[in-house]
Amino acid sequence: MTESPAHRAGPDESADLLEVEGLTVTFPTTRGPVDVVRDNTFTLRNNETLGIVGESGSGKSMTALAVMGLLPRGARTSGSIRFRGTELLGRPDAELRRLRGNAMSMVFQDPLSSLNPYYTVGLQIAEVYRCHRGGSRRAARRMAIDALGRVGIPDPAERVDRYPHQFSGGQRQRIMIAMALICEPALLIADEPTTALDVTVQSQILELLAELKRQTGTGMLFITHDLAVIATIAQRVLVMRDGEQLEYADTERVFSAPRHPYTRMLLESIPRIDDELAAPGVVSPTARPARPTDPAPAQEEVR
Amino acid sequence: MLRYVAGRLSWVLVILLAVCVFTYVIFFQLSPDPAVMICGKTCTPERIDTIRTSLGLDRPFLQQLGDFLRGIVAGRDYGSGANLVHCPAPCLGYSFQSGQSVWEMVLERLPVSVTVAVGAAVLWLLGGVTIGLLSGVKEGTWWDRSTMALALGGSSIPPYVLALALQYLLVVKWQVLPFPAAIPFGDDPVAWFQSYLMPWIVLAIGYACLYARMTRANVIDTLAENFMRTARAKGLGPVLILRRHALRPALTPIVTIFGMDFAGLLGGALITETVFGLNGVGKMASDAIAKNDQPVIMAVTLLAAFFVVIGNVVVDLLYTALDPRVRTTAS
Repeated sequence: MTESPAHRAGPDESADLLEVEGLTVTFPTTRGPVDVVRDNTFTLRNNETLGIVGESGSGKSMTALAVMGLLPRGARTSGSIRFRGTELLGRPDAELRRLRGNAMSMVFQDPLSSLNPYYTVGLQIAEVYRCHRGGSRRAARRMAIDALGRVGIPDPAERVDRYPHQFSGGQRQRIMIAMALICEPALLIADEPTTALDVTVQSQILELLAELKRQTGTGMLFITHDLAVIATIAQRVLVMRDGEQLEYADTERVFSAPRHPYTRMLLESIPRIDDELAAPGVVSPTARPARPTDPAPAQEEVR
Repeated sequence: MLRYVAGRLSWVLVILLAVCVFTYVIFFQLSPDPAVMICGKTCTPERIDTIRTSLGLDRPFLQQLGDFLRGIVAGRDYGSGANLVHCPAPCLGYSFQSGQSVWEMVLERLPVSVTVAVGAAVLWLLGGVTIGLLSGVKEGTWWDRSTMALALGGSSIPPYVLALALQYLLVVKWQVLPFPAAIPFGDDPVAWFQSYLMPWIVLAIGYACLYARMTRANVIDTLAENFMRTARAKGLGPVLILRRHALRPALTPIVTIFGMDFAGLLGGALITETVFGLNGVGKMASDAIAKNDQPVIMAVTLLAAFFVVIGNVVVDLLYTALDPRVRTTAS
């Protein structure tokens, strides 16, 4: 089974959607090789959403890029990444290309710079479909219009010929999502998809992702630095720091009884509306730092 | 869109008018007395006065300027009575040296300059942009390093040195090309081509080196863009990614620079034309400067300004066609 090319292997029903085992990503630097991801192991089941949380540089994006086969040049990987039972690491790029955008796709953080400013959004969505499914330009365009409609772009038949800069930030991310889902992938990786957006737009995009996931049954790897977002969308959570996995468990368990002190600290760093109600001067027994949005300084206490 | 074009064109008129006034002031009001220049060495005060009257130099400045501008648009008359000379529009006056109509001189020489500019532009675009694209895609490779070293060297050689070296090697030593001579295309297309080949190469090399380096930088910047990562995440093939997603963003800025460079050359490649003895606008300018032939110098200045201004407008309009982001703000 693992010998046949990934694109031909039908979905192995017995296998989990994504099995990552002992994944290590190494970058060569002038001061020797540096592991940006070390010995990461996790499983994404069918129809499940797994959240990966961690601060900048924790290796969560590198893990995602490794799955997609999109690591920057020079990066070295070891371990195992199995997608629907088929090993991906070491596979030639031409084979991975048939999976990317097709069986697995990715939504990035900054939708404006992730779209090519020189082409209409219709063309950029349609080219994914034509690349993997073929067919006429006109058919692909119809698919693009459909896709735009599904992600909630009003008047899609007219706006399909517009350029990225003519859309709002939230709409651009909707376009990226339409692009990622047009070939109905089994796996969707969302790398901080709401970070660059306004708070109100954030929740709309999260709702859209959850809704589309319900409709299509796509498995989702949701990367964020925001635990509050994870609580609403993911069934299981993986917490990372400095390239290492600290905690990996059901979302409920992580929120109710975090095992690792770093996770506890992340949870405590979520601003709460009742914080303001606490009487000034009263120090809580857990002595948490005064709302650190950047947990880096607090890290020292944990160690 | 139409309003944008009309707006741009009306600005062109304003700028050209300003250039006319500026050059007129420099060449006729701040320079040595034109009447003395025309009169030559054997001159009497009476003759100078006559010339001055016939040129209208005795009239107030603003009236002279008005005459000059009217001459360009509608033609004008010099002198009076039996000495009356009509100068048809566009009237740029007469050469102090030969007495020939400056406009006719320009018309005679412009085709040579245009030929030089077009041929060189084709060479440097093909050469420079191709090398730049390859180097950008293969950044850091042996090819990239060696071509960029050559490009740095090539853009550092002054054109007259290059011209003399090429002439010595190709014409004198190896005798693969005839000595440059003005041969009309209709007489002998092959000889015509050979006669222009060296000027084209000399002019093109400097630009090609510059364009290679610019194109390479643009390609490298474009390849680092987030939308290139998106294109790969979509599963597109490397050729399609380069052709569709990288080429257009990388080459659009080149259009701007090219428009300016090419327009600048239409006004005459002064050094190249002079070195190769090509009778173009550039050579006419250098001859006129040597002999202080003010109407000719002025005409060349106006012509060059005209091409640059028009080139600017063409580039702007092209840009609206190439970059959709400019299009929406323009319309």
